[in-house]
Amino acid sequence: MTTTIPRVARRRTTSRSTGRSGAAVIRPSFAWAVPATLFFVLFAVLPLVLVAVLSFTSWDGISSPEFVGVDNWKALIHDHTMIQSLWLSVVITVLGVVVQTPLSILLGVWAAGKQRNRAVLSAVYFVPLLLSATAVSVLWRALLDPNFGVPAQAKWLFGDGNLLGMQKSAIGVLVFVGAWQYTPFHTLIYQGATRAIPQVLYQAAAIDGAGTVRQFFHITLPQLRNTMITSMILMVVGGLTTFDTVLILTQGGPGTDTTISAYYMYQRAFKSFDFGGGSAIALVLVLVATIISLIVVRVSGYDKMRSTSEGL
Amino acid sequence: MRRRPNYLAGLGSLVWLFLVGLPLYVMLAATLQSQSDYSENGPLSFPKHFTFSNYSQDFHNGFGHYFLNTLLVTLAVVAIVLALVPPLSYAIVRSRGRLTGAAFRVFLLGLAIPAQAVIVPMFYVISKAGLYDNLIGVILPTAAFSMPVCALVLTGVMRDITPDLYEAMAMDGAPPWRVFFQLVLPLSKGGLSTIVVFSALQAWNGFLFPLVLTQSDSSKVVTLGLYNFQTEHGIDIPGLLAAVVLSMLPIFIVYLFARRALVQGLMGVGGK
Amino acid sequence: MKKRAWLPRAVAGGVTLVLGLTLAACGGGSGSSNGSGTFHVLVYGDASNKVEKQIVDTFNKTSKVKAVMDTIPGADYQQKLQTIINTKQAPDVFFNWGGGSIQPFVKANLLMPLDGFIAKDPALKSDFLPSVFNGAVVDGKSYGIPMRGTQPVLLFNNQKVLKDAGITPPQTWDDLIADVKVLKSKGITPIALGGGDKWPTQMWYEYLYDRVAGPGLFEKALSGDKSAWNSADSRKALSMLKQLVDAGAFGSNYDSVKYTDGGSVALVATGKAGFELMGSWYYSQQQQDHPDFAKNGLGYSAFPAVAGGKGDPNDVVGNTNNYYSVLKKTKYPDAVAQFLKLMYSDEFVKAQLAIGNLPTTTNTPQFLSTSANPAYSQYQYDLVKKAPSFQLSWDQAYPPAAMTQIYTAVQEFVDGKENADGFIKAMQALPTA
Repeated sequence: MTTTIPRVARRRTTSRSTGRSGAAVIRPSFAWAVPATLFFVLFAVLPLVLVAVLSFTSWDGISSPEFVGVDNWKALIHDHTMIQSLWLSVVITVLGVVVQTPLSILLGVWAAGKQRNRAVLSAVYFVPLLLSATAVSVLWRALLDPNFGVPAQAKWLFGDGNLLGMQKSAIGVLVFVGAWQYTPFHTLIYQGATRAIPQVLYQAAAIDGAGTVRQFFHITLPQLRNTMITSMILMVVGGLTTFDTVLILTQGGPGTDTTISAYYMYQRAFKSFDFGGGSAIALVLVLVATIISLIVVRVSGYDKMRSTSEGL
Repeated sequence: MRRRPNYLAGLGSLVWLFLVGLPLYVMLAATLQSQSDYSENGPLSFPKHFTFSNYSQDFHNGFGHYFLNTLLVTLAVVAIVLALVPPLSYAIVRSRGRLTGAAFRVFLLGLAIPAQAVIVPMFYVISKAGLYDNLIGVILPTAAFSMPVCALVLTGVMRDITPDLYEAMAMDGAPPWRVFFQLVLPLSKGGLSTIVVFSALQAWNGFLFPLVLTQSDSSKVVTLGLYNFQTEHGIDIPGLLAAVVLSMLPIFIVYLFARRALVQGLMGVGGK
Repeated sequence: MKKRAWLPRAVAGGVTLVLGLTLAACGGGSGSSNGSGTFHVLVYGDASNKVEKQIVDTFNKTSKVKAVMDTIPGADYQQKLQTIINTKQAPDVFFNWGGGSIQPFVKANLLMPLDGFIAKDPALKSDFLPSVFNGAVVDGKSYGIPMRGTQPVLLFNNQKVLKDAGITPPQTWDDLIADVKVLKSKGITPIALGGGDKWPTQMWYEYLYDRVAGPGLFEKALSGDKSAWNSADSRKALSMLKQLVDAGAFGSNYDSVKYTDGGSVALVATGKAGFELMGSWYYSQQQQDHPDFAKNGLGYSAFPAVAGGKGDPNDVVGNTNNYYSVLKKTKYPDAVAQFLKLMYSDEFVKAQLAIGNLPTTTNTPQFLSTSANPAYSQYQYDLVKKAPSFQLSWDQAYPPAAMTQIYTAVQEFVDGKENADGFIKAMQALPTA
């Protein structure tokens, strides 16, 4: 279950040694890591183990959990809503990555420029970052009201304003609101990474007569590869666990049209009081998040670029 | 060699400015007018009669108390993270024990655990421990779930401290705690500010843990106050949006006065 | 030199100690707060809370054991209640809808039958309308005392819109369909529907099933006879609803509209829609949001009759009332019994009427003239009194676990995502008690 980030971790282990000078370097013992590890195991890893256990029980929150074997899992395989929810999670995540990545790269590279007006505009760009997902969802729910929100004043664009009443537009709203909130954050990451690209590379390219566009594709983008991976992993994990937005904007509706896995899990556990079934969904969610992160890492060839990452 | 101004990028940036700016404008404009004015004139119009009653009403409805709760949660989470993560990262970077490596792998695995996945057992454990509807029950898991990213970021920063410096300190015969306080901590200030910013935002904006683990008004945090406002008085859009503005106000103030630190801190999350 | 790292150990020790202490302190704390002569009353949080608060204050003036009132905002009430009811944080007395909403707790043996209280003070039963009191009787035992108003569902209208269109509130289903066509031709949404909330959609099913099949069909289905959903009457009710939707009665964007955030309420008040089917609390909602309209323009009528239907046109659906139920483990049963007696006091009835609620005590009629809107209160009171059957909302009649499935089913059928077979199958899959 390890992502390849450990490779980053390991990348310098070999360069650590008893110093050249020969003086024995005194190293901290494992005890230094104990408090944090204990705390994390207690409040994150153990609950995860408990999820696994609960997924084999039937529990309504009132009486004690009862062991029921693989019943929850069997039911899950045949659960139409579950399969649909996984698909919806993937769709919303992929759309999120597809929309946010180009946007935040362009904006990030642009904002990395030193001009004064860019700094001012960037200051406005980042305001959505200051809002919690809850606040953002509440804000958009109010703005998108078909009769008393923006759609009522812009009928040419929104028609009857039934944005949350149809699957395609409801998904569109979720993806848009996600992008509205998180693009600034990813822009920030790219902005930082772009500023860290050595200027010599651009100067050399300029001497060779490469224009802005060529420079962007031949220097900036390749140099941002690592940042892209980090940003995409964050987007994937964030997308798969979209919850506040769904709870406040659509409640999984219309019908079950936007019931993504994370919301379905919450619904099963805390609204239908099937904590066993909810736990099984939760476990699936963890597996999917891990697998997708792994795929992103493999496809992008992240694990083969240890040397270039040193340059960042 | 001056670069040509990039008109296309400029245009694109203006479009984005519009997409970000318009909702913010609607939000502010709505909060400054009465509910009847808002529903009559629509969200896009400029307020005719300014009023701050929406804000005072929100405070009257208990938002002040919610703020205190959120502040308490945030401070506690930051304190826990600051106490636990730096020693951990130091050990990961400098210790060569297998156990430390294993610990690091546990945290990396933690990156892929969504908080939603453990909410059911968390509820079970917290209510069995008698911490249901208690802010401590929110603080502990929130801190735990901001630790993986913090550990990753800080470890990355600490790794950049060159071996020479450690060797110099070793020559002096410095024990690990002196190395930690005199060398590692001062040289990781950027990373420390990143983990402070990150964990503070996680705590300030946390929603799922308070939603499931608290109940009464006395332990309500701001995000939950917003959610309840929406489900109970969603009709009152100006009042609701005023609450949204209030919820971001403290962070906005930090942003105004310490923009650089905040932005640098967030950039740190994505790597150096 | 010193290889031992004292700092992390100290930190580890300290954290463990602090954690242990807080755990211990909090564990002990919540237990003892119940021991100092108070019992907790948990109520659904909304505008009616001021009356509950007033009654609690009245009680505390004379009682040595004090009542403490807690609220949980509406949308999450049932969920939160179920998650805490078997923990230390459970209340002593709690608000509910009777019926299926308390069934799981009765089954888990958590609730105290109130028959003992009633034996000591028969007024606890005899001072309430029997049809309402029976809403919280499970397996022949009484588990709840009515504590708010009865909330029948009515068909509200905008009088001006109807007048301009030359129509009157519908007496029969055919009238309604005709009214829909007229309003639609005038470019007005005939019926406002907060489809985003899902439960308003459900009200249409409740009434149609009652009018077409009588109350028996749903009772049969609820008791576990799943074939009821597949009966000819069930299919007829569904096809009539479909007919209404296809006639454009609800417009096209009803799933983006909510009742709870005031959307559908405003549609009727501003004349953009003609009708809305809603619980009797609709009046106070209009009064709060659109006071002028509530006073001068809001009309109401009973749900239309269905020709050839088996249900009595006088039947109503909605929330019979809300109830206070008592947990078995309460430490102060005597004080709680005293508290419950206030639910048929004159003070209680007057306070409920003043905020527009309609209590269901036998002494209610003598105070009707003191209500915020006497004509409206009288109308409702008569409606409920002469109703042969008062069907509790489906989502409350079924155990809470069924709620989301019911909502999904009613929404998908109205949206045309599922046909009658799909709806029937979904309803048959519901868990029954």
